[in-house]
Amino acid sequence: MHRRKSIQNIALLAGGLLALPNWAKAWSLDSLPMVGKPLNPAAENTLAQIIETIIPESDTKGAKSLGVPAFVNTMLADCYERKVVENVEKGLAVVEKLATQRYQQSFANLTTPQKEQLLLSLEKETDSNLKDFYSLIKNLTIQGYTSSEYVQTTFLKYEMAPGHYYGCVSI
Amino acid sequence: MANISIDAIKKNTYDAIVIGSGISGGWAAKELCENGLKTLVLERGRDVKHIEDYPTANKHPWEFEHRGQVPLAVREAYGSIRSFMREETLHWAIKPDEQPFVQEKPFSWTRGYHVGGKSLLWARQTQRWSDFDFEGPARDGYAVDWPIRYADIAPWYSHVEKFAGISGNKDGLPHLPDGEFLPPIELNCVEQHLQGVLAQNYTDRQLIQGRCAHLTSPQAVHLQQGRGKCQHRNLCNRGCPLGGYFSANASTLPAAAKTGKMTLRPHSVVHSIIFDAKKDKASGVRIVDANTGEMIEYFAKIIFVNAGAVNSNLILLNSISTRYPTGLGNDSGLLGKYFACHNYRGKASAQVEGFQDKTTSGKNPSNGYIPRFRNVQKQEMDFLRGYSIGVGAGRWSGSNREGIGEDLKNQLLHPPLGNWGISAWMQGETVPIESNHLRLHTELKDKYGIPQLITSVAWTENDDKMVKDFQEQVEEMFTKAGFKNINANDSHSNPGSDIHEMGGVRMGKDPKTSLLNEWNQLHSCKNVFVSDGACMTSTGTQNPSLTYMAITARAANYAVSALKKREL
Repeated sequence: MHRRKSIQNIALLAGGLLALPNWAKAWSLDSLPMVGKPLNPAAENTLAQIIETIIPESDTKGAKSLGVPAFVNTMLADCYERKVVENVEKGLAVVEKLATQRYQQSFANLTTPQKEQLLLSLEKETDSNLKDFYSLIKNLTIQGYTSSEYVQTTFLKYEMAPGHYYGCVSI
Repeated sequence: MANISIDAIKKNTYDAIVIGSGISGGWAAKELCENGLKTLVLERGRDVKHIEDYPTANKHPWEFEHRGQVPLAVREAYGSIRSFMREETLHWAIKPDEQPFVQEKPFSWTRGYHVGGKSLLWARQTQRWSDFDFEGPARDGYAVDWPIRYADIAPWYSHVEKFAGISGNKDGLPHLPDGEFLPPIELNCVEQHLQGVLAQNYTDRQLIQGRCAHLTSPQAVHLQQGRGKCQHRNLCNRGCPLGGYFSANASTLPAAAKTGKMTLRPHSVVHSIIFDAKKDKASGVRIVDANTGEMIEYFAKIIFVNAGAVNSNLILLNSISTRYPTGLGNDSGLLGKYFACHNYRGKASAQVEGFQDKTTSGKNPSNGYIPRFRNVQKQEMDFLRGYSIGVGAGRWSGSNREGIGEDLKNQLLHPPLGNWGISAWMQGETVPIESNHLRLHTELKDKYGIPQLITSVAWTENDDKMVKDFQEQVEEMFTKAGFKNINANDSHSNPGSDIHEMGGVRMGKDPKTSLLNEWNQLHSCKNVFVSDGACMTSTGTQNPSLTYMAITARAANYAVSALKKREL
C-alpha cells in the first residue's frame, strides 16, 4: 500500500506520465536499494504493542489512540533505508524471542511491567543493532506522539501565530 | 529566423522588458510600470500568486505525513538537489533536469525558479552599505572602484525601505547607516547580556538588533498593499498569507500589476538578448517557452536583466552577435569574471548558564547582528576586509526521554524549560578575483537548448584567514560573556552556500575594466540594465538584497528619465 503510493508519487513527479523521464531511465523502484519497505503483519503487530507500552493510555491519551503506530509504519516504509527497516524486523523478532524465553508468552500477552522490563533491557544492550532498533522505534514513537494535534494543543502550548516576540519574560 | 508579421512584432512589443520576477526584478517592474511604461516581466518558472499559491502556509505540524521529512523515493527523484528538501517547502525545489550545470570546483547553487523567486525564501535580513563599503576596493586595492557612493544610493535605500517595510533600531553607526525603520524586534536576555559585554569590553564592535524586512507595525503604504502585521509564525519560507515580510509576490508585483501596465509571463526561459547591429543597441529578448519549447521574440526599448546573479551572467554570455562575439557588452572581456559570494564558513555555538528565571515568549523571525569590526577605519589585519556576525540565543525544552510508560509520558507532556544556548554565524566579505568566474560550456546544453553554465569558484587564502579570525574572536567574546562549551569552527561549506551570489557583470568607471556604468547600463549598450547581484563590484558584509532593491529602483527611474529625454 505504501509502496504503491510511492510509485504514484514518482509518476506524478515525472509530469503525470507513468513512464519515467529520460534522466531517470536507468532506475526503477526495485533497483533503489535505499528505499524502505513496509513491515510484515506479524512484525507490525509486535511493533504496535511496543509503541503502546512506550507511551500507554491512562487518564491522558496514549500512543495507540493517537495513531502513532500508523505514523511509525509510514516513516519506516517511506523515510528509512531498506537495511534499517530490515534491522527493525530483526529487532521485533528478538523481542518476541525474549518474551518466549523469559516468560513463555508472546509479547502481547505479557503484563505491562514485564513488557516495560523487556524493552528497558534493550536500552542496555551491548548489541548495537538491537540498541539502534529500539532507539529508532522509541524516537519515532516520541516524535509521532509529541507532534500530534492532541499533545501539541493540550499540553505543549502549540500556537501557529503567537503574534509577538518578547525576548525577556520572567517565569 | 521565423518570418513574423508586422502585427506579430507589434503584439510582442513593449516599452520595457524585465528578465526575472524576484527581489530585484519585482522592483524594476514596479518602478517602470508606475512611470507609465508598458512592461513585460519574464519569469522562467511557474506562477506563484500571493496567498493562493502557498499550499503549506497554514498547515500544522501533524498535517505533514512525515512531519517534514521527505520520503526517500521522492528525494531520489531530486538527485543532488538539496534546497528545500522538506515537506513544507518541497514545491520550491527544482528537478535535476531543469538546469544542469558543471561545477569545475564545488559550488552550491540555490535557485528559486518561480514568480517571486528567492524573495519568498530569503532570510529577510537587511542592512545598508556605507562608504566604508563603497570605498573598499579603492582603499584596499582590489576589484575596481565603484562608480557610485553612499550619497547616490541613500535616497533609494529610503525609497525601498519605506515601501518594503524594514524593522530596526536607530543605532547611529557610521559603518551601518540607519534606515527608515519600523519598530525593532527585541533582543532576548542572553543577547542583551552579550550586547552589554561587548559594550563594556570593546570600543570597536557592538551587538545590535538585526534589521529585517518584517512589518512590526504596518503603515498606510503597507496596508494599501494588502499586507498586515507580522504574526511571528516563523513559517516565512512557505510564503506568508499576511504579507508580513517583504516579497515580490506580496508587494512589488501587485503594485506593478495595479498600474495595468504589467504583463507577467511565467514559463519563459530567456535564451538571449537580441542585439540590433544597425541601431547599435538591444532590440529585445529571445525566450524558450518552457511548456511548448517554442522560441519567441519580444521587443522593447529598454531591458532590465534581473534573472539572479548567476543567470544574468548566463544570459549575457549567451547573447552572441558579430559585434559581441563573447557576450553582450563584453568589450572588456570581463563578463562572468570577478564572480564572488559571501563567506559563511564560520559557525559557533555555546551553552549559557544562568538566566533560569527568564524565558522568551512568541517567536523571533530575526536575530542579533554584529556589524563588521575588522579593517573598518584602516587596513590592519593579515586579511583584507572583514565579516559581520549573526547571533541568536534561545531557551530549549528540557524534555527528558529516559524511561518508559506513564513516567515517560508525563515527562513528555510536561517538559521543563532547559538551559539557554547561543549560536553565531559569519558573513564574510570575499575579495573578487578574476579566476573566480562563470562561463558557458562549449558543448553541453540544457533541455531548452541553452548552453550549460560552468562555475569555477573557490575560496582563497584571504577567506581561510578570515574564518580563523572569526573563530578566535567569537571564542574571546563568548568567553568574556561567561558562556561555556564554546564551539567555533570552520564548516568548510562550499562557495554559494551563502546564497549571495554576486558579480560577473560588475559596475565600474572604466569600460576597459568593468561592464556597467554608474546607472547599471552596459557601457557599450546603454539600453540594457543589470541591477541584480551580478552588478556588484564588491560584496560587502551586508545581506545584499536591500542593496539590490535600492540599486534597481535607482536604475529604473534613471532609465525612465533617459527614455523620456530620448537618450535611449
